[in-house]
Amino acid sequence: MPEAAPSDPPAKSAKRKKKFKWRPWLRALHRDLGYLAVGLTFVYALSGLAVNHIADWDPNFSNFEREFVVEAPLPEGDEQAAAAIVLSAAGIDETPLDVYSPADGELEITLETSTLFVATETGKVYEEGQKERFALRAANWLHLNRGKKAWTWFADGYAGALILLAVSGMFMIPGRKGLVGRGAVLVIAGIAIPLAYLAYVGGP
Amino acid sequence: MTDPKASTSLAQSIARRDFIRKAASGTVIAAFGGGLYALSDHLTSEAKAQTRADGRARIPPGQRVISALKPMGGQPGDPSRGNVKIKIHGEVDNPFEVDFRELLAMDVVDTRADVHCVTGWTMLDARWKGVRVKDLAAKAGLKKTARHVIFEAAHGYTANVRLDEGLADNVLVTWEHDGRPLRRPHGAPVRALVPDLYFWKSSKWLTGIRFTRRDQPGYWETRGYNNHADPWKEERYA
Repeated sequence: MPEAAPSDPPAKSAKRKKKFKWRPWLRALHRDLGYLAVGLTFVYALSGLAVNHIADWDPNFSNFEREFVVEAPLPEGDEQAAAAIVLSAAGIDETPLDVYSPADGELEITLETSTLFVATETGKVYEEGQKERFALRAANWLHLNRGKKAWTWFADGYAGALILLAVSGMFMIPGRKGLVGRGAVLVIAGIAIPLAYLAYVGGP
Repeated sequence: MTDPKASTSLAQSIARRDFIRKAASGTVIAAFGGGLYALSDHLTSEAKAQTRADGRARIPPGQRVISALKPMGGQPGDPSRGNVKIKIHGEVDNPFEVDFRELLAMDVVDTRADVHCVTGWTMLDARWKGVRVKDLAAKAGLKKTARHVIFEAAHGYTANVRLDEGLADNVLVTWEHDGRPLRRPHGAPVRALVPDLYFWKSSKWLTGIRFTRRDQPGYWETRGYNNHADPWKEERYA
């Protein structure tokens, strides 16, 4: 039996009805961009929260200070020996970055995360330093684009992706009333909030 | 058998009472909290009643007094005083570098100054030890063509200040705050101090002072903050 010719009327009409459906593509784009953006969204959001409240806390370091006394007088003229005694008494097992005597009777021991200021005649030691909040500092470093160079391209790409996410998010699922329903109210509210704030504070 | 109408009415009455009780508790807690905040802010209230020697209010508008400097971030530089090398250069006849021992050997001043952060806090009567920028400028032989001072700091940070404001008596290169060596988050080992402008002008981790003919907006000034930064005019943003 001969096969049906491609020009048969029923097959042709079925082919005509097969329209391009853009929503599934939009949803797929939104979903995949969303997956890609998860990591950076956490970086920017957490860092944004941290840096926004910089007047209340140090988002990069936790700071500390302490005072103690070591046996005095410390050896005069041998800064390294004096530093070794102080570090041993302080329970610090670290090679100093610098040992420096700015004036007679004063010794300063610079370590990676702290500095010890020593009065060599009295043995009084004041230590001040800071410990890195590792993950948060890294996030802040990225957020504020301290490294510049290639990160600028990533950051720009992320900003572009956020715009795409916002736009695709509006259209990916048709509401019962389309865009004029709840979606429109929320979009208008989202735009109105910053405008209302600008009006309230009198502009930039 | 229970009358359903009476039961509903009773339930409503209990719910109303419960709501009123919770609302009253909330109000009392909020009022107590507000009262505590007001009490804790007596420093600001006291400062608001004071006037500076130059006739300006002791506390600029929009500021709240706190009792200790707050760390405000930034990229720290080398913390060792042994590695201090402050370069004095630009519109000067004799550019030079000064190390920490040489700073100590200069005319060291121990002074008190209020400082004002653009984020809204002010610290009163902070004690600072250092040398005057005008003494460093004099030593370098400042040219008449100089109009601006650029404070240079670690990792390329800069802050620009008008010459007359940069050479004021209370503008220092400082290494001690409140009787203690400057702490790392506050710019150790050496920072600038320009007390009459918002505090970001007081560059931390100072590496140089450059005098220029033309203004060169610095790190924050090119990122939306005001070029001049007068706290009494609330020059916070561009």
